[in-house]
Amino acid sequence: MKYPILIVAVLILSAVGFHAGRRRSFKAVDGEIRRLHSLPGYYGWYVALWCALPAVMVLLMWLAFQSSVITSLVVSGLPPEIQSLPRERLSLIVNDIMNLARGNAVNASPDEFLLAAARHYNRLKATAFLALAALVMSACAAGLGFGMRHISPAMRARVKVERVMKVMMALCSTVAIFTTIGIVLSVVFEAARFFNRIPPADFLFGLQWSPQMAIRKDQVGASGLFGIVPLLTGTLMISAIAMFVAVPIGLMAAVYMSEYAAERVRTVVKPLLEILAGIPTVVYGFFAALIVAPFLRDIGGRIGLDVSSESALAAGLVMGIMIIPFVSSLSDDVINAVPQSLRDASLAIGATTSETVVYVVLPAALPGVIGSILLAVSRAIGETMIVVMAAGLTARLTANPLEAVTTFTVQIVTLLIGDQEFDSPKTLAAFALGLVLFIITLCLNIIALYVVRRYREQYE
Amino acid sequence: MKRPSGAALLLILFAAATVMMPLLAPAAGAAGRDYISIVGSSTVYPFATVVAERFGKTTKFKTPKVEATGSGGGLKLFCSGIGVRYPDITNASRRIKKSEIDRCRANGVKEIIEIKIGYDGIVLANSRKAERMNISRKDIFLALAKDVPSGIGESLIPNPYKTWSDVNPALPDISIEVLGPPPTSGTRDAFAELALQGGCRKFGWIRAMKKTDKERYKAVCEAVREDGAYIEAGENDMLIVKKLEANPHAFGIFGFSFLDQNADRIQGSIIDGVEPTFENIASGRYPLARPLYFYVKKAHAEMIPGIKEYIREFTSEKAWGPEGYLIDKGLIPMPDSEREKFRSDGRSLRNFSM
Amino acid sequence: MIRNSHEARLELIKAGLKRRYAKEKIFRAVGISAITAALIMLAILFASITKNGYSAFQQTFIRLDIFFDSQVIDPDSTGDPTVLSQADYGGLVKKALRDMFPGVGKRREKRDLYSLVSPGAAFQLRKMVMDAPGLVGTRQAVWVPADDDIDMLVKGYIRAAGDGSGRISARKAAWVKSLVSKGAIEKRFNTAFFTGGDSREPELAGIGGAVAGSLYTMLVTLILSFPLGVATAVYLEEFAPKNIWTDIIEVNINNLAAVPSIVFGLLGLAVFLNFFGLPRSSPLAGGLVLTLMTLPTIIIASRVSLQSVPPSIREGALSVGASRMQAVMHHVLPLALPGMLTGTIIGMARALGETAPLLMIGMVAFIVDIPAGIFDKATVLPVQIYLWADSPERAFVERTSAAIIVLLAFLLIMNALAVVFRKKFEQRW
Repeated sequence: MKYPILIVAVLILSAVGFHAGRRRSFKAVDGEIRRLHSLPGYYGWYVALWCALPAVMVLLMWLAFQSSVITSLVVSGLPPEIQSLPRERLSLIVNDIMNLARGNAVNASPDEFLLAAARHYNRLKATAFLALAALVMSACAAGLGFGMRHISPAMRARVKVERVMKVMMALCSTVAIFTTIGIVLSVVFEAARFFNRIPPADFLFGLQWSPQMAIRKDQVGASGLFGIVPLLTGTLMISAIAMFVAVPIGLMAAVYMSEYAAERVRTVVKPLLEILAGIPTVVYGFFAALIVAPFLRDIGGRIGLDVSSESALAAGLVMGIMIIPFVSSLSDDVINAVPQSLRDASLAIGATTSETVVYVVLPAALPGVIGSILLAVSRAIGETMIVVMAAGLTARLTANPLEAVTTFTVQIVTLLIGDQEFDSPKTLAAFALGLVLFIITLCLNIIALYVVRRYREQYE
Repeated sequence: MKRPSGAALLLILFAAATVMMPLLAPAAGAAGRDYISIVGSSTVYPFATVVAERFGKTTKFKTPKVEATGSGGGLKLFCSGIGVRYPDITNASRRIKKSEIDRCRANGVKEIIEIKIGYDGIVLANSRKAERMNISRKDIFLALAKDVPSGIGESLIPNPYKTWSDVNPALPDISIEVLGPPPTSGTRDAFAELALQGGCRKFGWIRAMKKTDKERYKAVCEAVREDGAYIEAGENDMLIVKKLEANPHAFGIFGFSFLDQNADRIQGSIIDGVEPTFENIASGRYPLARPLYFYVKKAHAEMIPGIKEYIREFTSEKAWGPEGYLIDKGLIPMPDSEREKFRSDGRSLRNFSM
Repeated sequence: MIRNSHEARLELIKAGLKRRYAKEKIFRAVGISAITAALIMLAILFASITKNGYSAFQQTFIRLDIFFDSQVIDPDSTGDPTVLSQADYGGLVKKALRDMFPGVGKRREKRDLYSLVSPGAAFQLRKMVMDAPGLVGTRQAVWVPADDDIDMLVKGYIRAAGDGSGRISARKAAWVKSLVSKGAIEKRFNTAFFTGGDSREPELAGIGGAVAGSLYTMLVTLILSFPLGVATAVYLEEFAPKNIWTDIIEVNINNLAAVPSIVFGLLGLAVFLNFFGLPRSSPLAGGLVLTLMTLPTIIIASRVSLQSVPPSIREGALSVGASRMQAVMHHVLPLALPGMLTGTIIGMARALGETAPLLMIGMVAFIVDIPAGIFDKATVLPVQIYLWADSPERAFVERTSAAIIVLLAFLLIMNALAVVFRKKFEQRW
């Protein structure tokens, strides 16, 4: 890649521009900086920006079009009988030419016209690079000249430079918006195509999930039932088990840390708990599938219970462990936000610490705690790897945590890995599931954030 | 702390970002592909990956990218068209169907090279911790079909059997739980054809239906129950093996190579009195044996580097010969004459027609 | 009477106190046990993974007496590298094995014998000859990797079964025993595990490719997400007018932070792959998806960090005539930067361990070559772990755990770095 050289050249030119601009501003006032509107450095920045921005824009535009222009030029140089081939076929030949050009020959004696085209391609590429270099450098130089010409003691260089910076920052902040739009659009579009074939009511209220339909006419597959109720119950069951583990442990840990633990204990234990949150979910998945699930099955077997090897219990337990630090650190914040005066008042009338916690601190912190639990639930619902590795694939309606259940995320992964045809309801169903998942977690998040914020405001 | 350092660091990072962004741009354009793209059957996957790996390590070409999409899924992608975006080779654990050839034709994939690589048996296996099952194809059909003969006249009822012993008192008294491949898999097609249809045909009146109402016959014989007894475990035979090991009551359906590789953990059920062994499958005595294939696009063979050499490697004696490394992985070799035929087909890129 | 009732009340209170103190103790104990429970789970997790994985850092090797037969390698003594590279090195290995154990004849027996050493042995010999063609015609003692089953046997994970049904037949076990007695089997440090790419043979499989893939992916993520995140945070915190538009952005960012990661994968599939046509399974696409996923984390951490800079700093700067931009760039930002970097490191650590969204954009393929750039097909460390966790070979359990140890080591280093950073630059106002 020769392009970094270009960028470095632009940067060097900009640096030159910076110094020249600075020098020019000094000169313009004969060294009496007081007469300048802005500090000399801002004149330098002004020139440097003029130098770099147009050049980078030219570079980006060029690169965006370069390959397609070169390709079409190469194609137009090919014999007419090849040019008239269908587009996809042509793309193969172009690929071949590019491989040839890189010295990556397919067969020892390629056709003469291909060799010629490859040479043509290499030539074009070299020419294009030279042209681009010339263009970028001249854009740079032009910007530099333009910037230099405009330097005068009265020019508001600082204001202009600051405005550019501000606009750039504002542009950066829109990325978050575009991400959300992207998510919504990508999921909604494909989901809409899905709902064209499967009525939303069947999808939302159907009791059977059996998406593996036949992929050919002459094949007999599953009937293609897309009812998400079994997935929903499965997801909820695993999440409920996880919360059953995480909420008591997390909450009690938070209470102990904020109300009882000595400073020294805190500094050791808190980071240790946070390690639990930092462990990748794929590790938890491996742990659940390899260690917890067989362990539960053995125990079940010993006491005469039939525990499925992919029981909801194993996945839920491990997910609970993962969520403990999430609950504890959020609740810790919330509990710490309860004013000390409330505690002092309670202790002053003779309540023990535990009574203070149970009757004063926790009730005061309740909305915040609920908010953090909701956030934890939303996380449990969206968690993927643990359930992909440790939960089952059977969509069944059951309330028995020892049986295998499946979840939204497991099904999304199963449907999308492998067969990637965007015209079968099977693949599109993954996006519909994604939409449902997005909406559920979105609602939970909004409620939780609202509750937490209201709660914070109460004591601020 | 020094103040300017922060702003300077920030600037450097911004500069780095501007350096990077143009580098990202050309990706949107047409970047040449210089490696082989292979999709298809998860049964052939272990063989294809081994060949691909050796091919990558012993030639100057890049190692092909192999994805397991199932035979049906692979052929669907394969037949989507000619071009860099489409795979060059697809593996299949069954022969290509007429409908798929038509689809290929319609999308411009006119010339296909067919290479049969060997044989594989479909096994119904369970954990070694449990009892070995001795089952007939008829029992398999009764246990897994969506509708089964009611026993009264020529009528069907939704499959009522919950345990294997419901189907046949000689079988163990455990609930039916079979992990099997989804319809994108060639193993599923072959299983439906060989085992389910094979068992279904034992009912005279259903066999008679084949002549009168072929579609209904197929639907009756090949439809699999959806009440949870048959679990579609995705395109991952290895996953099924792991799950069987964890759950001694479950059975799994997959290729012989997986049984061969995991013989210490799982055992194949005896079907119609024949044990799934290397010798029984090679001799054709085992009822659920089927050939494995891969298909190559001729148009790509001349354009993507390495395809011809990959075929050469796959069809060499050291790979698929009776002592080749594929045989170590569980492939059952073809007789010499067949190997010779497909080797010459592959080397001359002979177009295949049905 | 009065005194009596007073005393009675005191009695009552005392009795109650006892109960209340007992309750207090119990409550405290529950708190401690909650924390202990969490820490025990952490310990179990680490212990079980270490126990499963540490042995993968060693690999069993077998010494073979190889005769580099010029008749096999280069019959016409051309010395041509293409001839040398195409030779049947597997045959040399098989010959050496047959010489070592004469009297093995039947097909099954031979198959067993050949499966003592890894198929990688042939690659190794090939590389030796390619590097030094002078070896042809000589006889050398070469240490080659043992097959994964033998490796597992030597490490004691599996036992030889007598009935011939197990992975290791009695025959094979006897051969291994005789090799051990000859000193021809040795456990050595497993360099291939760190330098190699993925392989179908556990004894050849390494995390080199996955680590390189992770590195490229993280590079893309860092270079895009840090500037974007910091700029967004500075803008929202210091410059943005308070209006509906910025409110929307704010709510939006908080929501994005809690969107399930797999949804970002769907976005990547639909937008980056299907719409923009970025190469499937490339670190570029992976890095872009992870950028979007980590951005909210970095923005939120950066904003908190900016908020913690006291207003007096800004006011001081403004009062001596600095513009807002100058106040922020020269005074606030340098003070907030350590906090921002800490947030970024934590965000990157999360991205490094993320798997689910990458499954959606094709990073689960079997990829042997080590990627050399952001456009190459690649996989990342957590996805490699996922792939290996699903592999049937017993030896992959060990290697999966070892890969997890490496991943956790990376993460611990990153988190320790964040803690050190925080400690070093933490300022209390």
